[in-house]
Amino acid sequence: MAETGLNRAKEICQDRAVSARELKAGGRKIIGYLDIFPVLEMMTALDLVPYRLLGDINEPITRADTCLPTVVCPFLRSVMDLGLKGKYDFLDGVVMAHGCEVSEKTAHIWRIYLDPPYAHFLDTPHTTHPSARQQFKALLKYFKETLEVFTGKELSTEKLREAIRIHNRQRALVRELYHLRKPDPPLVSGVETVQVLIALASLPVAEGNELLRQVIGEVKQRKNGPPGKPARLMVWGSIIDNTALIDLMESIGANVVMDDTSLGSRAYFPPVEPTDDPLDGLAHRYLVALNSPRTFRETILNKINKKDYLTDLENRFGYLKDYAREWSVNGVILQVLRYCDIHGYEVPGLSDYLDHIGLPGIYLEHDYGKAALAQLRTRVQAFLEIIG
Amino acid sequence: MAEEKKKRVINRLKTMYPLRALVDGTYEKAIAASREGKPVAWCMVNWWGGDAILRAMDVAAIYPEDYGAVCAAFGAAPAYLASADADGFPTHMCGYARNCLGYAAQMKESGDIPPEAPMGGMPRPTLLLGSGYFCDTRYKWFQSLGRYLDAPVWVLEMPHPGVKESRLKGAREHDISFLVAELEGFISFLERLLGRKVDRDRLTEIIDDTIEMNRVWHEVNELRRAKPCPMHSRDFWSSMPAALYMAADPRVTAGLYREMYDEVKSMADSHLGAIPEEKYRLAFAELPPWHSLGFFNQLAERGWNFVVESWAYHPPKPIDLTRVTNPLERIASLTYQYFTGYFEDAFATGDWWGYFAHPYLELAREYRCDGIMLHPLLTCRTATNHLMVVQDQLMKKLKVPSLIIEGDIVDLNLFDPADALRKAETFEETMSHYRKVRQAAGLAW
Repeated sequence: MAETGLNRAKEICQDRAVSARELKAGGRKIIGYLDIFPVLEMMTALDLVPYRLLGDINEPITRADTCLPTVVCPFLRSVMDLGLKGKYDFLDGVVMAHGCEVSEKTAHIWRIYLDPPYAHFLDTPHTTHPSARQQFKALLKYFKETLEVFTGKELSTEKLREAIRIHNRQRALVRELYHLRKPDPPLVSGVETVQVLIALASLPVAEGNELLRQVIGEVKQRKNGPPGKPARLMVWGSIIDNTALIDLMESIGANVVMDDTSLGSRAYFPPVEPTDDPLDGLAHRYLVALNSPRTFRETILNKINKKDYLTDLENRFGYLKDYAREWSVNGVILQVLRYCDIHGYEVPGLSDYLDHIGLPGIYLEHDYGKAALAQLRTRVQAFLEIIG
Repeated sequence: MAEEKKKRVINRLKTMYPLRALVDGTYEKAIAASREGKPVAWCMVNWWGGDAILRAMDVAAIYPEDYGAVCAAFGAAPAYLASADADGFPTHMCGYARNCLGYAAQMKESGDIPPEAPMGGMPRPTLLLGSGYFCDTRYKWFQSLGRYLDAPVWVLEMPHPGVKESRLKGAREHDISFLVAELEGFISFLERLLGRKVDRDRLTEIIDDTIEMNRVWHEVNELRRAKPCPMHSRDFWSSMPAALYMAADPRVTAGLYREMYDEVKSMADSHLGAIPEEKYRLAFAELPPWHSLGFFNQLAERGWNFVVESWAYHPPKPIDLTRVTNPLERIASLTYQYFTGYFEDAFATGDWWGYFAHPYLELAREYRCDGIMLHPLLTCRTATNHLMVVQDQLMKKLKVPSLIIEGDIVDLNLFDPADALRKAETFEETMSHYRKVRQAAGLAW
């Protein structure tokens, strides 16, 4: 009998390719995408399956050395490595955006070495300037155009609205799942949440929504949820696409109750707002509403045209204070993949902000490998002792 | 220094020195401006549009990227790097950025320019101009400076063309309109900040002079195809900042590049090379180890002439902009040409494999390179993330071998010159071998 709910999520998480190959065998076209900036609704509206490209922490990187050097993001190197090893051979195409500098290069390098039938690079401005918003909308039109050529179908406004509705539904369901982490003890663990998120990144949106409904129902009803622990952590930083790091924290006295990472809340929390032209709502959501440190936001200057540091920090990190309050967080893990500049630059500023709001935090740098986890364990343990 | 002088075998161009002096002089000028109460901007390289606007508004511009190289060359960088490290900036991040963050930390602590700062130091800025092209550091670094400085940051947005999507109908026009809108946005920001209007006539003059400056600089580099090559990369690196950073009135700079053109042309006509005996012609990618440039003298002694460098530090290929009436559109088109100048050729020849890597193929062919030295920077993704592709494709398509020497632009500890020299000696056999392979394959050099 097929698994459902959390077991189904765990099953998918253990071998993502199985569900992708089933979809492929059923005649679906699967489009790999990187990071949170490719506009999923446009793919869904054309009956394509957006399938998030993730790495594999258990797979040694061997092939990617030929095209991505060791001093760039180990997650992206892992993704490229899997591609070169044929582990993404079920993909009909890829969409990659300028999520960061290395992901932009990965987009082109993927095209050079893997030459997929369909590939689109979605340039993504770095600011929310009015001209940047206009530019991004124009770039979405180009994306629409290449998708239409690839599928041979027209992407109508009606189809796009319907896709927005179903993706917004998924976002609302993920929020609901996250709400279940608010009680003490949380009703769903950090590891289980990551498993669900990985499953969602591997399924068509409608199937993902069904899975979420099952999970939420199951979690609400079960009596054997995670035990309460003294530490309630929020994890901030680079992508977490496996359970190892969260498992480490939860195995030594913490409940991981919230995250600000690109596979988690960052990818789901802002919905697409309704607009006359759906591209306006999509451009706003993906460029302006998504909270990512890769997007620069100006701080309003004071009366003498100077920038106030605390105002700037509030502008950039204020939402984390809200998360901490709502999820009763008493410690923050700032985890950054080695060579991830986007997050690396944030660390001193975010540490200052956490100090300012009186929330303890610890910075962990890691290399997307299981071997380094032992060292991290000691540091996390020490941190948990400090926060009591 | 004395030891390096004794060993110097590269014929340095006389016309290089005034160009380098222009850049060095920017620090003194900025300090003077600051003392007079005039605005000072710390800028990222922004490919001329932002520079022209700042100059037209009489804002003294200095470039912390250049200052990073200065600090590395003067041995001042380690103390600044240590300050940034102590403040929690991860050590894998850009050496230039960490140098500047450490400098700003010390500036905040002392309340003034750090006393040991080379070239008189960088005065406190009125504003910071970041840019949105190439690397994330170009805006994250300046955002991070908020920890030490209260200067506002403006990020000048830029598209990332030169890829297949740039061929879609109307994409070029969209991108150029975007660049123009961004420049107008920057003007509005500056006018609000400084409480005065830009002189549009002056701006037009500066823009036109900038286009001409880049054209002349391009022509200088074209002369380096000559065999033997009359201008070594060291002279390129010393001369490039004057254009890349708009160190002075571009009309003055263009004049100095013209003098350089005459000197290089005279050498080329007389078959004089930059080194006594050119045995091997090499390209260099990306930025050099500024702290150890004497290393190139040792290679020059072995007959290694570095004849061309990364396209990213070269001026754009000239284009006809006479029909473009809006000056901001002219400078935006020049910037766009910088981003895409090699793309059309690549597409036309079917050799397209990425705007960031393809130009090396063209450069290796046009400058008849025996090899390329790749310098992966352990703290710089931009200068490194494409090098494996460059290595792979140069060998596959042109049988040009690569020598990889790891290092850093600022951090001396990450570069081992003795090891690099050992590798270089071995690489000579490789270059000789592939010369024969290319000949057998019917390649022209």
